[in-house]
Amino acid sequence: MATKPLFTEAEAQVYEKETVARNNADVRVAADQDVGKAYNDFWWDRGNQVVPTLRTSLIIDPEDGHVPALSDYGKQVQAERANQRRLRGPADGPESRSLAERCIVWPTGGPPMMPSFYNNNYQFVQGPGYVGIYIEMIHDVRIIPTDGRSHVPSNIRLWLGDPVGHWEGETLVVETTNFTNDSPFNGSSKDMKLIEKFTRINKDVLMYEFTVNDPAFVRPWTAQIPMSSVEGPLYEYACTEGNYAMEGILAGARQGEK
Amino acid sequence: MRKFLGILLAVAPLYAHHAFSAEFDSTKPLKMTGVVTKVEFINPHSWIHIDVKDDAGKVTSWMIEGGSPNTLFRRGINKDSLPKGTIVVVDGYQAKDGSNRANGRDVTLADGKKLFVGGSAPTEQPGK
Repeated sequence: MATKPLFTEAEAQVYEKETVARNNADVRVAADQDVGKAYNDFWWDRGNQVVPTLRTSLIIDPEDGHVPALSDYGKQVQAERANQRRLRGPADGPESRSLAERCIVWPTGGPPMMPSFYNNNYQFVQGPGYVGIYIEMIHDVRIIPTDGRSHVPSNIRLWLGDPVGHWEGETLVVETTNFTNDSPFNGSSKDMKLIEKFTRINKDVLMYEFTVNDPAFVRPWTAQIPMSSVEGPLYEYACTEGNYAMEGILAGARQGEK
Repeated sequence: MRKFLGILLAVAPLYAHHAFSAEFDSTKPLKMTGVVTKVEFINPHSWIHIDVKDDAGKVTSWMIEGGSPNTLFRRGINKDSLPKGTIVVVDGYQAKDGSNRANGRDVTLADGKKLFVGGSAPTEQPGK
């Protein structure tokens, strides 16, 4: 679909059907993969329809709809990250496990914020001088000042980066910097400058557009996601509170060492 | 409810929040029938506690790992939806450390109906 920006209605239906079938966790497969599927389909909450704009890719720039290649710098950052990972065993301790498993940050929780396989919801709260975005996956609240302040000093690096926002008419524009190299998005680096635009285009749709400016990529890129309204409330996904699985993973690794 | 597909940018792996393959043993598949004693709708994953009686009448308690409680609440399922005493059939994999924990790969009710019937197919209504 690289050369085709839009689906026809008929193509969209076929794509939806194929994708839903492929993701169907009720289909049992060979044991080693089956255990990775975790549980049956009821627990999952993946997408089942293409976006109403019928776009074949959420990426609107570049035109081919693909994430641009990593630059030499981006490859270097990625290699360093992989090397850091290699210095630890798969489950030496909780620190060896992913940030997501440790309930610290979720790779698609953002920013930028992307749908995942469940808990794909956000709550926006707007007040004088601030906008708050509660990200259901995995528990974070982004507090975005809109009072004209500048970013925190560059020596302060944050999992979710440092956001500052302003209004352009009906659009909230948020610029986020001060990221780390440890929570990449499609290969992004600590030097990402992320521009997000939120525009409520009608009662039920909040258009979300983000542009990744990062020397880790050979060029900037932009994606667009229509967010549809859902009934509240959102429940707190305080992932750390009952994370029995971490104990199970570490116990499994110790058993394997015997 | 419309759920949009993250085309091409679908970076989420085909795995759960946690690497179930690190926690559960694919060489220890199991199928057992038990009675629900407790349901923990906790984050990040739900746990269903069951008592399983073997042929000699000995009762063993098991914990079965499920998914995010948020998804269930949104579909109208709560603590009362799976009362104590419900008989369930668990088809999953035992924990690698050999403890009485398993993932609930498929959990069905005694009459064969899937527990929490639903799905992500567009024609299906959540919670029905």
